[in-house]
Amino acid sequence: MNNLTILVVDDDPVIRKLLEQRLLKERYEVLLAEDGYIGNDMLSSNHVDVVLTDLMMPGDIGGIEVLDFAKSLERNIEVILITAQSSVDTAVEAMKKGAADYLEKPINFTELFLKLEKIANMRSLLRSAEDLRQAMDVTEHTAAETIQNLEVLANSLQTQMDKVDTILSNDEQSADDKVAEALVVIQNVE
Amino acid sequence: MLKITPPELKIIAQYIHDISGIYLDQSKSYLFETRLSAIAEELGCTSYKEFYEMARKQPSKVIERQIIDAISTNETLFFRDTGPFELLKHKILPEMIDLRSPSSPRLKTNIKIWSAASSTGQELYSVAMTIKELIGSQMDNFNFKLLGTDISDGAVKQASYGKYNKFEIERGLPRQTLQKHFTLFGDSWKVKDELRSMVNFRKLNLMLPFNGLGKFDIILCRNVAIYFTLADRKKLFNKLADSLTDDGFLIIGSTESLTGICPRFVPKRHLRAIFYQKKN
Repeated sequence: MNNLTILVVDDDPVIRKLLEQRLLKERYEVLLAEDGYIGNDMLSSNHVDVVLTDLMMPGDIGGIEVLDFAKSLERNIEVILITAQSSVDTAVEAMKKGAADYLEKPINFTELFLKLEKIANMRSLLRSAEDLRQAMDVTEHTAAETIQNLEVLANSLQTQMDKVDTILSNDEQSADDKVAEALVVIQNVE
Repeated sequence: MLKITPPELKIIAQYIHDISGIYLDQSKSYLFETRLSAIAEELGCTSYKEFYEMARKQPSKVIERQIIDAISTNETLFFRDTGPFELLKHKILPEMIDLRSPSSPRLKTNIKIWSAASSTGQELYSVAMTIKELIGSQMDNFNFKLLGTDISDGAVKQASYGKYNKFEIERGLPRQTLQKHFTLFGDSWKVKDELRSMVNFRKLNLMLPFNGLGKFDIILCRNVAIYFTLADRKKLFNKLADSLTDDGFLIIGSTESLTGICPRFVPKRHLRAIFYQKKN
């Protein structure tokens, strides 16, 4: 089914464990990274739908850098930032850079699951819209082809009918000859 | 996103055709990229050539299945084009019921129906709902076997599970029908057991031989042949003619035609819809 794979990036082992347990219970696939370096590494080589990353992490790679990297992959990965209340402004800035959403600590799981559900719904709609466009394209193309073939066929039948008409209305031939000649035309219809 | 080169496009398009029969227009390179780049990148591939080699050589065929899931179009909805379902209800099903009515009232009427490209199941469940509406309380006198097949594992899985989100439900399913045949499941809807027990789904590649499927009284093969080449369409409808009972019915997509494709069928018209029967 449409189960999302979530990459959790957080240096706090307690939060990592907690998120892992709750997400698994909701039947999401979960990957864990203990800092931004490992997070980016896992992003490059794994299928990830959503990154759930802490905004502030030790080292050069914080939540914003994970966000930048995820977006640079052009792979349709959504990023949700986990932030302390004091850095909500930074989180809002991050949303301008393409983050899907942010969550304030302590994490409200009902809120998290709602946000994830929204992302899942959006994905399924996006795929449906793509499928619809593709189906419409192909349908239109083949319908046009079908109509063209039928037009050509109808036209060639009409031409044969006209020939038969001309033959049958020729008064200089005997009836038997006319029928025989008309039959040849009819038998040559494909 | 991993970019595809023209030679790679040719190789991948040929490969997709080989494994699924789906013919993709090579001018649509974006389609290949948006659908396949994620799978290729997750595998650590740096080119589609490498991706193709990996997919082709993998004995478990996991990548092949992923490719088919990604590339096949699951555009479907409940009661897609109302025409065929009106046709089933007012013409095809009543006629087939008369044809198959057993001599003894103690015996059941057996009817086998096949949705040859069932996608995520909406078409076959729509057929099942049409049957229930027509037969009502007389269901015990009948033995309907409804089979849905599709090439995509993902689609077959969803169809078997019978769970649809609100967007899928909102497309084509009237409120009354929804409440009669579905139960709310989280914020999705699940097909009730009674309807679910009427149908079966399994994976099938229409390009391969239809081994062990037997013959069907009614076949629906709508909006799938449009993804195939003319030569493959001819083969497909010829095989479908073999899989249909001599007095059986075939329903194809409303924008499709069998003229010049399969001479073994005769088109028949009822109200505003067309269906086919085998030539005797």
